[in-house]
Amino acid sequence: MNKNEQINKLVDEALSSLDGAERATPKPYLFTRLNARMQNEPENSWDAVLKFISRPAIALAGLCLVITINAMVVSSNYSGQTTTAADEQYVSADEYNTSVAVLSDIENIEP
Amino acid sequence: MNQQELIVQLQQGDAQAFKKLVDEWQDMVYNTALGIVQNADDADDITQDVFIQVYQSVSSFKGESKFSTWLYRIVITKSLDHLKKKKRKKRFGFMQSLFGNNSDEEIHPEEFNHPGVLMENKESAAALFKALQQLPDKQRIAFTLHRLEAQRHQDIAAVMELSVTAVESLIARAKGNLRQILKDYYEKNVA
Repeated sequence: MNKNEQINKLVDEALSSLDGAERATPKPYLFTRLNARMQNEPENSWDAVLKFISRPAIALAGLCLVITINAMVVSSNYSGQTTTAADEQYVSADEYNTSVAVLSDIENIEP
Repeated sequence: MNQQELIVQLQQGDAQAFKKLVDEWQDMVYNTALGIVQNADDADDITQDVFIQVYQSVSSFKGESKFSTWLYRIVITKSLDHLKKKKRKKRFGFMQSLFGNNSDEEIHPEEFNHPGVLMENKESAAALFKALQQLPDKQRIAFTLHRLEAQRHQDIAAVMELSVTAVESLIARAKGNLRQILKDYYEKNVA
């Protein structure tokens, strides 16, 4: 048998090596170990919080709350603004002292 | 008590029903996890994780698929997650080894021997399991369910949410790839 034939034989043996294989079984007393683990591992508080937040109803309610707060803030800002555009121009000119910003205005100040 | 009744009782929080479920399905869960992760301790941990998840989320099982299909999906997801975590740890271990910490055991895992394989096939099966590690996840899962769990193509298709043709194609590709990997392996190792 040459090397190639030998390799092909080994490959075929490997591919059929699971024929007749039985199911592996876990170590004994799985249920006892499982029970102990479930009792010793209380749910992490962060997991509980995340699970609660990720509920569709809670997530949707949270989203609605954020949108409502945004809308309230925006509407309260608008309701306080009753000034006209001319007032705004005057206020900003006064605030930034732009009323004498042009050089010719400064040079031709009337006596 | 049939399976349907068992699940209803479990959904009502019956501890005896949970024990019965664990007794009935533990071999299937463990064997599947072992075939994927190829480590007895890890498979044992995954088996426990799976049953904890089943206990916590059985209320969400609506019976639209077979219970075994639902269970296989949980096992596969947990096993693949476990492998991803292990790969991350290996990368970290490799980085540590560069800085002098000894983590050879993590980087070069020992050969895996499946306890259910016939004695005369142990050596060939070890080579096969090593080759399986190099397959893409879907091919590996389809091949493992087919060969190790003796699942029919229709059942694998339900578990993997694929068509039967797609599963047949995955298994054929898995066999082709395994043949090539094994050939390369034996060419290097046969005198």
